Amino acid sequence: MNREARPAREDAALRVEDLSKTYADGTRALERLSLHVPAGSFFGLLGPNGSGKTTLIGMASGLVRAPEGHIRIFGHDAVADYQRARLLVGLAPQEVHLDRFLSARGVLVHHGRYFGLSKGAAGRRADELLSVLDLRAKAGARPNRLSGGMRRRLLIARALVHRPRLVILDEPTAGVDLALRHELWRYLARLHREEETTVLLTTHYLEEAEALCERIAFIRGGAILAEGGVAELRARFGGARLEDAYTRAMG
Amino acid sequence: MRPRADRRALRTVELRGTIALAGREARRVLGLWTQTILPPVATAILLLAIFGGALGDRLRQVEGVAYPWFILPGLLVMTVAGQSFANAATSLFQAKSEGYIEDVLTSPLRHWQVALSYMAGGLLRGWLAAGVVAAIAVPLTEGVRRPALALAALALTGVIFSALGVLTGVWAETFDQHAFVANLVITPLALVAGVFYAVQTLAEPWSTLTRLDPIFYLVDATRAGFTGAHEAPVAASLGVAAGVATAVVAAAVGVLARGWRLKP
Repeated sequence: MNREARPAREDAALRVEDLSKTYADGTRALERLSLHVPAGSFFGLLGPNGSGKTTLIGMASGLVRAPEGHIRIFGHDAVADYQRARLLVGLAPQEVHLDRFLSARGVLVHHGRYFGLSKGAAGRRADELLSVLDLRAKAGARPNRLSGGMRRRLLIARALVHRPRLVILDEPTAGVDLALRHELWRYLARLHREEETTVLLTTHYLEEAEALCERIAFIRGGAILAEGGVAELRARFGGARLEDAYTRAMG
Repeated sequence: MRPRADRRALRTVELRGTIALAGREARRVLGLWTQTILPPVATAILLLAIFGGALGDRLRQVEGVAYPWFILPGLLVMTVAGQSFANAATSLFQAKSEGYIEDVLTSPLRHWQVALSYMAGGLLRGWLAAGVVAAIAVPLTEGVRRPALALAALALTGVIFSALGVLTGVWAETFDQHAFVANLVITPLALVAGVFYAVQTLAEPWSTLTRLDPIFYLVDATRAGFTGAHEAPVAASLGVAAGVATAVVAAAVGVLARGWRLKP
């Protein structure tokens, strides 16, 4: 369903125009932000805490109200046409929140069914993801019985159950040990390459962004400071590594 | 994809999603039956035994109906109301406070489908608990005069209070707020709704005040269904209940659509 719901020849997985957001406490999180994430790209969104990354992701996925500006997911308005837009998005949020009344497999099956998969298809997809993310042995365990790394992997699996065309990963490797982090990198790279999935990644690990992302945007104060390939950003801000360019761009 | 086929595919997504979420709620109710079903059944049976059995010998008849039979419909309304409300409110409050409501908020489900799914768990819990109480108590009474009317009144009770549960689950930011509505709004309203007495025996202003309590009409219509006795016109009681049900369901869907207290 989700793969068939796309409008033809849309070149942007995520297109954001003049997006602003002020929270009830007066915090201005986004300031007329515009961003274009090309379809099929592995895109990094880098910025310090409080720069607006999670707000932007929340608005694109339905977790944060979006009263000003426009967000389009493969051409579908994320507010006016939210059903078709959400079918195309898979989100692994920064905070790990998993339904404690369900087993690990149940979390995946239910999520798949919320997105329209049949019971059988959701079950098969859940089993596949549990194997891929090395959670098969914990299929029957409740999320609160899993280790931090396992919960993080389950969250990523949940984002992938309905085979979204745009996967949004908000700091997916935060708190994950080095071996698992590299394992997740390999899986995400393979997902992007083999399934042509667009990936929008936020991370504080700049080597992670440098290793995985084809394009990167720097965000600060709710606005995009710069956008381009790793080499472009290094050339523009100077430095041998992305980290140098990032540090200089952020001032 | 052609527009009609696209719409049909979307309807399939909605149907499967709604069944999945409602099924999740139903499994929660059944899986936790010692917390969700057993206590309200025990409470209702105990109230029936104490008031119907012990006081019934003294009171004998109210409105021409044996006292245990007179209070049974009200106890069923109290059971459906309390359990429907508690389930929808608690489940939504837990999902919100523990954060896993994001699973539903990021889904393509429509707002009314989310409300309906949470209400389904409440309805199941309320009706199941009341059904068990009725299965135990009805054979000991004189039967049910108008089953369709009794079922309609109990159905409306479930709809009203499960929708109120959704509203409370969305509104409450602390467990105290959640408990406040159950303990200081719903329970008192249920107790003064004529469950244990005939309203026309009350002096003013209590008689008029009771008639302002919407639960009174649910109790009265259910009693009319069980015993044939009623104090308000049955059509008026069902009309009031249907009006209240429409208003609270609309409010529940409205707050979900707006994202009030769910989305910053």
